[in-house]
Amino acid sequence: MLSDITLGQYFPGSSLLHRLDPRMKIILSALYMAAIFLAKNAFCHLFTAIATVLLVLLSRISLRVVLRSVRPILYVLIFTMLLNLFFTSADGGRLLLDFWVIRIYEEGVYRALFMALRVVLLVIGVSVLLTYTTTPIALTDAIESLLSPLKLLRIPVHEFAMMMTIALRFIPTLIEETEKIMNAQKARGADFTSGSIFRRVRALVPILIPLFVSSFQRAIDLATAMECRCYRGGKGRTKLVRYTLHARDFVMLVLFALGVAMIVFGNLRLPIGRLYS
Amino acid sequence: MYKLEVKGVTHIYGAKTPFEKTALSAVNVGFEAGQITGLIGHTGSGKSTLVQMLNGLIRPQSGEILLDGEDIWARPKEIGRVRTRVGLVMQYPEYQLFDETVCRDVGFALRNAGMDEAEIDARVREAAECVGLEASLLDKSPFDLSGGQKRRAAIAGILAMRPEVLVLDEPAAGLDPRGRADVLGYLRRYRERFGATVILVSHSMEDMAQYCDRVVVLRRGEVFLSGRVDEVFYRSEELASVGLDIPEVMKIALALVERGVPLSGKLYTVDGARDAILELLKRRGC
Repeated sequence: MLSDITLGQYFPGSSLLHRLDPRMKIILSALYMAAIFLAKNAFCHLFTAIATVLLVLLSRISLRVVLRSVRPILYVLIFTMLLNLFFTSADGGRLLLDFWVIRIYEEGVYRALFMALRVVLLVIGVSVLLTYTTTPIALTDAIESLLSPLKLLRIPVHEFAMMMTIALRFIPTLIEETEKIMNAQKARGADFTSGSIFRRVRALVPILIPLFVSSFQRAIDLATAMECRCYRGGKGRTKLVRYTLHARDFVMLVLFALGVAMIVFGNLRLPIGRLYS
Repeated sequence: MYKLEVKGVTHIYGAKTPFEKTALSAVNVGFEAGQITGLIGHTGSGKSTLVQMLNGLIRPQSGEILLDGEDIWARPKEIGRVRTRVGLVMQYPEYQLFDETVCRDVGFALRNAGMDEAEIDARVREAAECVGLEASLLDKSPFDLSGGQKRRAAIAGILAMRPEVLVLDEPAAGLDPRGRADVLGYLRRYRERFGATVILVSHSMEDMAQYCDRVVVLRRGEVFLSGRVDEVFYRSEELASVGLDIPEVMKIALALVERGVPLSGKLYTVDGARDAILELLKRRGC
């Protein structure tokens, strides 16, 4: 059950997206998001959809896996769609359905569809660009590097990145630990899956207490181990992996910038089926 | 008939993902009633998976686990019953301690089974005695015990269920030699007292030699060797080929045999080798 999470989001591979500089991937994700939210008409939405499909193909991650990333937000998606469908007021578009208190306008249908499309594309695009193709460690490294100018403002960027790295590093460990403790308590006849809510919450006590105890112990051990190896924060610290930008990074950057430009142009010049502003 | 039998069990983790890993493939093992069977193998040999299958924590993807000849998964809803009949002591079991007092913690399984408090109390005392925990410790917080005491309290938590089959994953790991001997000795005594079947996972060939009747060697998810302790240990070359070592004392004894000293008997334990040497000396009239 929990082991599905242990695997995390990262899928090992050697596709172009895997090899891109993680810092560039963060920048590309920002551009991608901008493009998605700038898109305002059918042409632009089609364009972002095609671009997203191309990204998925580039990542060489199976479609099944990619679609799985959408599953957790399915309910949110349906909810926003319904909201858009029912609560778009009559400032344009034909009235499609008028039944009791429900009034559905043409524009409401379009809004619902495009909102859903946006959210789905956003989740798929960002997962493919970042979480599926970048190890969490590379990601925090890249964030640290991108945020490093903030050091001038005396913001402890390195320390935040280190905290994030440690947190990420210990997620699988904690999950493994939880699973072990759960199994140990199950072996003693604990039951986590039946009974009232109250009973189930109480059944968590035998898991949470050992988990807290060992987490604190682990934190103390880790701090000691880091101090033993003379860790004193970010000052003067060098990195094992140094990222360098390659031609491919710049090519992608240019392509993405062109994409955003295309959307802006499309919004202005190609008002094909202008739907909403 | 075997007390507990593993029949054609195959288990693959993360099937059809890049992380696919075969933990067990077509494993057949039988554990005889009333014996101590050692389970040995390297990290990643599938030991832990197998051990967790024995009491139904993991359901095998194919194959079956038979307890007294009955498939434990025949009625999945009643798997809880199997878990009290096959007691599993996980690796580093002291991490499962959680309750306010040692007494309550040891009785956790019994309370889950809905036993009444008077009987729980009697069982807890009996289990504590089984592992040599003094009664004065029972009212302490489990977090105030020493490492060795915690380990014993955790084992007592399983023994309190009086399992017919007791499975232990490295029960002596991380203990000093005295603690090791104590813990393994308690198991032997539990077996004698309740006629239980014991399955002992260990890395230590010395422990295997001293405490087990039979040994099963796993390698990469398959049974590599299995048989009586002496049968397995006399195949030292095969053991060496999977990176396992015969006990030190046996190496010395075999080296002596090679040099023409006619030793025979249980050369794989220190006591056995000592007896063999004394026997030989007696025969030679020293």
